[in-house]
Amino acid sequence: MRKPLVTLLSALAAVTAIACTEQLDAGKSCPLLCPEQAISLKDTIIDAVAVDTTIPGLPPIGSETFLMLSSHGDTLETRAIVRFDTLPSTFTLGGVDTGITVVDSAFIVVPRAFADSLKRPTGPITVEAYDVDTSTADTVSSVLASLFRPDRFLGSRTYAPESLHDSVTVPISTDTVLDRVLTGKRFRIGLKLITSAGQGFDLRLGTREAGTPAMLRIIASLDTAARPLNVAPISNSPPNQLFLSAPLADYAIVVHGSAPSPPEVIAVGGVPSRRAFLRFDLPSHIADSTTIVRASLLLTQAPNRRVDVHDSVFVYPLAILAAPTVTDIASQLQFVAAPGFLGLDSLFLAPGDSGVRSFEIAGLARTWRAQPLTVSPRTLALRSGAESQLPAEIDFYSTAAAPALRPRLRITYVPQTNFGIP
Amino acid sequence: MMLRSLTAAAWLALPAAGAAQANLSTQGFGFPTGQFSTRANGTGGALGELDPLSPVNPASLTLIGTRLVYLQIEPEFRTVTSPKGSDATNTTRFPVVFGALPIGSRWVMSLGSSSLLDRTSTTSFPTTQVVSGDTVNMSTVYRVNGAMDDVRLAAGWTPVNWLRLGVGAHAITGHNLISITQSFADTTVFKSFTKQRILGFAGSAASAGIEIITKDFSAGLSGRVGGSLRLAVEDTALGSARVPDRFGASIAYTGIANSSIAIRTSRDQWSALGGLGSPTVKGVDAWDTSIGADMAGPRVGQRIIYVRGGFRDRTLPFAADGNQVRERSISAGLGTSFANGRVLTDFAAMRAARSADIGASEHAWTLSFGFTVRP
Repeated sequence: MRKPLVTLLSALAAVTAIACTEQLDAGKSCPLLCPEQAISLKDTIIDAVAVDTTIPGLPPIGSETFLMLSSHGDTLETRAIVRFDTLPSTFTLGGVDTGITVVDSAFIVVPRAFADSLKRPTGPITVEAYDVDTSTADTVSSVLASLFRPDRFLGSRTYAPESLHDSVTVPISTDTVLDRVLTGKRFRIGLKLITSAGQGFDLRLGTREAGTPAMLRIIASLDTAARPLNVAPISNSPPNQLFLSAPLADYAIVVHGSAPSPPEVIAVGGVPSRRAFLRFDLPSHIADSTTIVRASLLLTQAPNRRVDVHDSVFVYPLAILAAPTVTDIASQLQFVAAPGFLGLDSLFLAPGDSGVRSFEIAGLARTWRAQPLTVSPRTLALRSGAESQLPAEIDFYSTAAAPALRPRLRITYVPQTNFGIP
Repeated sequence: MMLRSLTAAAWLALPAAGAAQANLSTQGFGFPTGQFSTRANGTGGALGELDPLSPVNPASLTLIGTRLVYLQIEPEFRTVTSPKGSDATNTTRFPVVFGALPIGSRWVMSLGSSSLLDRTSTTSFPTTQVVSGDTVNMSTVYRVNGAMDDVRLAAGWTPVNWLRLGVGAHAITGHNLISITQSFADTTVFKSFTKQRILGFAGSAASAGIEIITKDFSAGLSGRVGGSLRLAVEDTALGSARVPDRFGASIAYTGIANSSIAIRTSRDQWSALGGLGSPTVKGVDAWDTSIGADMAGPRVGQRIIYVRGGFRDRTLPFAADGNQVRERSISAGLGTSFANGRVLTDFAAMRAARSADIGASEHAWTLSFGFTVRP
């Protein structure tokens, strides 16, 4: 009795293992023979933005992927700081380690972002270097800016527009370098851009964060055969806090920047760089019970005519990855996804333009489905693709603006349907 | 316990494949494969009431003299023609699987599963919707996997040599896994989506049959009485109806050695399924009539080659766009045994033409392979 039953079961199991197959029917007989049709879409536009605000100073100091060295007169001025808190005391000559007793020449060599090569100044520009070491608050802009004075001048170099290539090289006072080497003191260099009157210009310089740092090049011998020493930036302060000190190997400070954004505007980019935060209040009957196929964040751009009015930059909508337990908005805006995550697409906008802009965020909105706010907050960040690199600032009207200008959310969704029953 | 395991296994075994939605044959809840074995298919179904491997007439089980397991595979190659052109598709089905076990000299027990209505299909078609003034171009892929299956536990009894009786208990089970994927031409703005749901069937029925044997004729008569049938998604009932009643009769001339020439007709009350689907889907009570022969052909060694042929005319259970769908088919088949009769193999080829008065037609080649193993 048992044996045939086992045999029968085996045969049934074998059949189960063989998948049925079906080729795709191209549907030429539809709709005649297709009683089931496509599911209908519904569309709605709602005032779903519950909170929107602008947070300046992001990314935080030292986290920039490029250093923005700008000079636009009284409108805008930024400077770059590069720290060499440890300098070598020896060099190799003829295969033998030798103590440094003389410095023949010294330069700071800073790579430039390639994109800048496409945009040249209209007149000569000068990059000046200053000794900005201080024992006081060493990351405060006002303190550091005051150190760019003649008695701390280290050197400069003037570039004609056509001579500006992929790096900026500024000669540095050899006496100062030798002093730092012999005394073991740290060496911190501030860079300042000077342009012709009325001619603003921006340099995008490489950083340690991006793997393209400025280098201090020292030739520590009068022998022409001596090879230069290339010293990478390093920061030792705050001491014993590597997580904080390492990013400060190079950073930018703002001497003159944009005014804080007014309440009726949310802004991205600019100087100091800022990011926008939005929290949505999506009706639960849409968020939980439907399938969203399109979610367009409709923002009305407000023209910003301060700096680089026509220089377009990408504006990215980004998912915020911070856990809901992180309630500080500035902290949340530092934990954002990479551009393109969840299929969120960017827009290429010029600061001086205006009009309604549509950011497609369906990929993000879908993650909110059936998730409580404690698990998946309905939040979004906006940031400039050139933040802390270019001064362009893109402004949008906020929820504090006139009703017709406020942010809205356009949702196209598939309602719950009773599909599948013939 | 063992019986429960067997039932579960049979339920799993036969999701049954089927035809595409954009065709005549799988309207409504699907295509009726007929519940015939490959041998019966070779005769156009004419031997259906007399064939022990077709789970139709439980009385025919008594022809089985030894324990066996039977499996059937049926690929179908189909062309649907409409004013917009032709679609050629193929599908593979496993319409019948069962086992039988003689008990004593007069009883045979059987457990098997067969496809009652096979709805497996995949169709892709473009559509356009206007959403708040925007024209949205999209493509829809509509996929259905699964079937309404008939799991039968049956017994056949031979009280006297000329009379055979049988009864069967049926569990109507199975599911339809529905999957709709809509993708959009503008992938930057719109995100495609897939929605799925599983429709489950649960019902019961009972059947009985009789077979009378004379020197030159055999006659079989069977009927199925449907019980309630429920359509549900998870634990939510969506509709209820009754399992269609059915009756059928075959008569065969057996005066030629090892041969049968038969005719059959049957009636299925498909309209009983009316309450299960949407109001627009109506079952059609249908006749299924066939004539065919299963003749002993040439011998190859000690092996007899059976040659079969038949013609079948039936109405399919569900109307297409309100019009009845008629199917006419011719069939031919072969059968023989291997391994000292421990393995029986059958093959049938069927050419079907399906039509309705709506300007669309369908033609199909169906190949049927049946394997019987006597362990």
